[in-house]
Amino acid sequence: MSEKKGLSRREFLKASGAAAAVAAAPKLYVPPLINRRRQNTVVMRQQPFAWDAINAVLPEFEEATGLTVLLEPGVSSGVDHLTEVTTAYAAGDSPWDVVSDSDESGPVLARAGWLMPLDDVIPQETWDDFPPIMLDALDLWHRYDGATYRIPHEFAIAYFFYRKDIFDERGLQVPTTWEEMLEVGLQLTDRDNGVYATQDSLTRNGLMFVYCAYLACQTNGQIFEFDDGTAMALHLLYNMMHTLKIFPETALNDVYDQQNENYMNDKVMFMRQWPYFQSVAEANTAWYNPDKVAIAVPPAGRPGPGSWWGGWGWTIPTFAPNPDGAKELIKFITSPEIVPRLAEGQSWFNMPRTSILNYFEGKPNPVLEAMGMYAAAGVPRPRPFHARGAEAQTVVDDIASLYLTKQETLLNALKLGKERMADLG
Amino acid sequence: MAINIGPPQAEVRRAQGFALSFNQRRYLAAALLLLPVILLRLFTSFYPFAQTILLAFQEYNPAFPPREYVGLQNFYKLSTDMVVTSSVEFTLIFVFGSTLFQVVLGILVASLLNAKFRLRNLARTINLIPWAIPMVVAAVGWRWLFDGNYGMIPDLLSRIGIEYDWLIDPTGARIAVLIVSIWKSTPFVAVTLLAGLQGVPEELYEAAKVDGANALQSFWRITIPLIMPLMVTIGMYMLVWQLAVFDLPFTMTAGGPGFATSVLAYKIYQEITTLNYGYASAISVVMFGIVGAIGALGLIVFRRVQLSL
Repeated sequence: MSEKKGLSRREFLKASGAAAAVAAAPKLYVPPLINRRRQNTVVMRQQPFAWDAINAVLPEFEEATGLTVLLEPGVSSGVDHLTEVTTAYAAGDSPWDVVSDSDESGPVLARAGWLMPLDDVIPQETWDDFPPIMLDALDLWHRYDGATYRIPHEFAIAYFFYRKDIFDERGLQVPTTWEEMLEVGLQLTDRDNGVYATQDSLTRNGLMFVYCAYLACQTNGQIFEFDDGTAMALHLLYNMMHTLKIFPETALNDVYDQQNENYMNDKVMFMRQWPYFQSVAEANTAWYNPDKVAIAVPPAGRPGPGSWWGGWGWTIPTFAPNPDGAKELIKFITSPEIVPRLAEGQSWFNMPRTSILNYFEGKPNPVLEAMGMYAAAGVPRPRPFHARGAEAQTVVDDIASLYLTKQETLLNALKLGKERMADLG
Repeated sequence: MAINIGPPQAEVRRAQGFALSFNQRRYLAAALLLLPVILLRLFTSFYPFAQTILLAFQEYNPAFPPREYVGLQNFYKLSTDMVVTSSVEFTLIFVFGSTLFQVVLGILVASLLNAKFRLRNLARTINLIPWAIPMVVAAVGWRWLFDGNYGMIPDLLSRIGIEYDWLIDPTGARIAVLIVSIWKSTPFVAVTLLAGLQGVPEELYEAAKVDGANALQSFWRITIPLIMPLMVTIGMYMLVWQLAVFDLPFTMTAGGPGFATSVLAYKIYQEITTLNYGYASAISVVMFGIVGAIGALGLIVFRRVQLSL
């Protein structure tokens, strides 16, 4: 009789059942680890580039409240941010207690009922610290149905950075109008060596919108209406790219990192860029000197110089596991005592709040100095608003891209843009 | 007098009436064992499918209530939405174009790999490298290869006097996306077809040689007919599989320039991220219809090929 080899069917079933039970046991019994953790911790979603600044102030908060703050990485694109958080919120869940929310996401999430009202969180002395320009924007961007859902922590206005060293060397004046910009641009462009007067990032994840809206606000154009001002802005961009060739066509596929690299590789002589570029340039110690990253008032279009501003702000998701801890944290990091220290740690947190301006009085801060210069010149314009912000931006991305890649004429592109905006309502 | 210590006869009969036969017990056990899987499958497949159908007839965006029934309005809207029509156009170009080249090149590569030469196993392994690379990684790599500033391909072409920005020109961008798809999936098709080639009896080629057939004639008259069912199968698989392509255009071109390389799955993604669940569902239903139609076409072709052999 041959000896039986291997497992019998009964033994196999027993072994499989036991293995399945062992594997399933942890799933069937979920120990309340998460809940216990949530009672003592606050999870904050924030872009990693700002972690150092936040970590510098957190020990005080943790000592005072007994709470532990965990930082979770967020993304830099407002549209991408919206994509990530809606997945959780739509499922009635949130891994985060405090979230840094973008202009694209904040109004939409508030309308969907996925953010918690914060009116009882912020004391009056904090609101008194904000400048009128930021308070005026609250209703549009941070409030819905009478309640405040987002507390701004950034004042992002795009600056006109230029190579003062090269302008001085070649005896050129900083352009103050579009016409001068084109003239100077022709003198600075050296296509054979890959040098262009200017460039921006024109990819279709919202960056195209940023630049087109920047140009449109210099014509008093309403970008979401595809009006005459928008037409002038798109036409200027087309001319710079295709007619005068002082703006590289390849920018249609460039993101900010590439744009910044081109500037710091001496391939671009002036550009629009967000304040964070100041920190990027300073970090490139082998290349940096202040004359390479000078800031000027942007060249003026028809009505005058302009640059729109917007920014990110703190929110608490409706489904936050620790809403009380989240409220305490927001109250702490928006207080007049803490915001100057955040601004010192990362230029992203620079705002024209009284406490920040007072703190930096007499101290060098190129971004705040430029902010003052822009305010004096009347440059800041409100960010173009649309209730369906991300969708409206996508329409601008699409239409501008169609025109700039010569798939549509300007007239047709504008007509298409108006039709698609009408569909959005 | 005998003492009855067992259950009353009536109870025994009743119990026997409820007793299951051996086969019934087997079926019951099988059903109970299968039930969790069936429930899981219903929950993860049927429920989302039914919900998608339902949503397709509704205007639903949680940020902009109310949620209401709108009949065929979403379908009418997508028929006039130029991004959707352009996406359908490029999706079909992408799917049929890349599948055609993948199958044709796959046969050629498979024939090469089926030939006898030294280091054949090494060649077969190397062939699979593109397929083993994650699509997102490949897309990023190729994006840089095609990049107008730093890309190797425009640089090499410029050395022979050809200046061309692949990812800026709509046609160039479409061709570039197709090239990457073909490069990525041809090895998989080739390996599948290689399995078919290895099943073709050597005697057939020897007989054809005796009859005076050259290599090309043998290929057309013997190889192709014998692996045709496999070609149709893999062709249909690639067609249906690639209809849901998203990662390649998303990473490589973000659907641009304009929306020249936008595909249906990308449009669905865009609508979902802006919470337009109703409209996204309507596009998904259309996509399901296209997949179903191509799948049905594939089955018909497959049966005809089988019948003709």
